[in-house]
Amino acid sequence: MTPMLQVDAIDVFYGDIQVLYGLSLEVREGEIVTLLGSNGAGKTTTLRAVSGLRPPRAGDIRFRGQSLRDVPAAARCDLGIALVPEGRELWPMLTVRENLELGAYGKRARPSAPRNLERVFALFPRLAERQRQLAGSLSGGEQQMCAIGRALMSEPTLLMLDEPSLGLSPLLVDQVMRTVAELHASGMTILLVEQNLQKALEVAQRGTVIETGRVRLTGSAVELSGNPEIRAAYLGL
Amino acid sequence: MERFVDLAVSAILLAGLYATMAYGLGLIYGVLRVVNLAHGGVIMAGAYLGWVLHGSLGIDPYLSIPLVVLLSFGLGMAMYRVLVRHLPRGAAGGPASLLLLFGVWLVLRNVAYLLFTGNDQAIRTSYSTRSLLVLGTHVSVNRLAVLVIALVTPALLQLLLRHSHVGRAIRAVAQNADSCTLVGVDVERIYTLTFGIGTALAGLAGLLSATIFSFNPGFGSGELLKSFVVVVLGGLGSVLGTGVAALVLAVVEVFAILVLPSYLTSAVGFVMLVLVLVFRPGGLFGHRVLG
Ligand SMILES: Nc1ncnc2c1ncn2[C@@H]1O[C@H](COP(=O)(O)OP(=O)(O)OP(=O)(O)O)[C@@H](O)[C@H]1O
Ligand SMILES: [Mg+2]
Repeated sequence: MTPMLQVDAIDVFYGDIQVLYGLSLEVREGEIVTLLGSNGAGKTTTLRAVSGLRPPRAGDIRFRGQSLRDVPAAARCDLGIALVPEGRELWPMLTVRENLELGAYGKRARPSAPRNLERVFALFPRLAERQRQLAGSLSGGEQQMCAIGRALMSEPTLLMLDEPSLGLSPLLVDQVMRTVAELHASGMTILLVEQNLQKALEVAQRGTVIETGRVRLTGSAVELSGNPEIRAAYLGL
Repeated sequence: MERFVDLAVSAILLAGLYATMAYGLGLIYGVLRVVNLAHGGVIMAGAYLGWVLHGSLGIDPYLSIPLVVLLSFGLGMAMYRVLVRHLPRGAAGGPASLLLLFGVWLVLRNVAYLLFTGNDQAIRTSYSTRSLLVLGTHVSVNRLAVLVIALVTPALLQLLLRHSHVGRAIRAVAQNADSCTLVGVDVERIYTLTFGIGTALAGLAGLLSATIFSFNPGFGSGELLKSFVVVVLGGLGSVLGTGVAALVLAVVEVFAILVLPSYLTSAVGFVMLVLVLVFRPGGLFGHRVLG
């Protein structure tokens, strides 16, 4: 079976500066894959390439076997690809509810927006309480819920999360990780970027480690957690 | 008393016009981060368009509103697709976009000189001189009509921005465009629409002004500057803030006539601009990005 997402030897640039070098990655249907690497390794850039915000200059990205080269970024959510971006990137002067409703802007998800809004509120009751508040007035943890909720409003089959635990208290980190596990259990395929290696390897089945824009290692979560290099470099063990 | 009511009506009327122009300018700046210096040119073009439709085709200026709005909307969208789209935006794009849009204004103005000469014109209708009794003073029917339209326009705009999918997308693009792309908003389409809406407001303001004031191809420069004052006073993108700021400017201008020599009244707006920039750089109501 072809993997759900195939990132095939992509080169990505910011202007003249190359950031990803022939990077490849696979996510199969139903998996949680984690993308690991230190600051500036190129994790965010990889997710931006998949979502179309920063298309690769060489190589290809395929979703369910179809090349995304000619699919504009704004059309990718209709294919079932969603990104929870690093730093939430909400619309701070819109209400929580407006943020969520805009998540269903795409053609495919718009008709089922009311039902999905109920689901998001069931998953994060906090958001239901605060639906009339401006998103900019939420706490960090609530903003992260709102960002995840917004992505869910597009009914994704592939959910990409970029450091969802960034800046959250340990308690909230656990809650976010539980949510990720729940979404996975409900059938969603997940690509998770994390700095918190330990947490990421607990929920993921497989992981890919990148270093300065190149794949360093790929393996099962168990293999990676047992790898002495990884333990030394990232887990501080 | 009569004089007071008269001035008050003038102030409210002017406020409506200023708000319409300023909202167009503020919307474009808020969403695209482009200062549309061609705004004054479109105000002038709207005036001439109404004048031509009335003079040559006999279309009443109020009946020509839909046509003028539609044509300015189209002009705005074309300007965006052909020119503005290619410009660098924000801080980096400042000089380039200012120069280009100033150039567009010059072109519009010189085309107007070529077609219509520099003579002063005005749209005169059969009811231009008719008036109604309001609060004991005679107010011209025409001014009342302009006032009503200037009140209905922001209400419609507010409705569009608050309660339609596209309006919500416009506000969201102003705040974070990449997030819009992620949820399936075609951001370029929103930019095109926004430039069209802002330009349509300028055309409408020009048409309405032309039923009250005389104009020539140089018309629009004072209006552009006043729009700046209102945008700075009112903060970006708040329909209410824009309305209140327009009213403040208009009241100060109109009542300044009572205490200042006439050659100083046109400076009032700029004095206010400087004062606001010094004391309340975020506008009277603070920063609001199309919230
Ligand atoms: N907009 C940009 N312009 C220029 N260079 C950029 C830009 N964004 C990122 N970079 C560079 O690209 C490289 C990869 O950045 P990226 O954000 O993908 O890393 P990351 O792995 O997500 O890091 P972090 O863990 O800090 O989020 C870095 O060297 C960064 O400096
Ligand atoms: Mg990152």
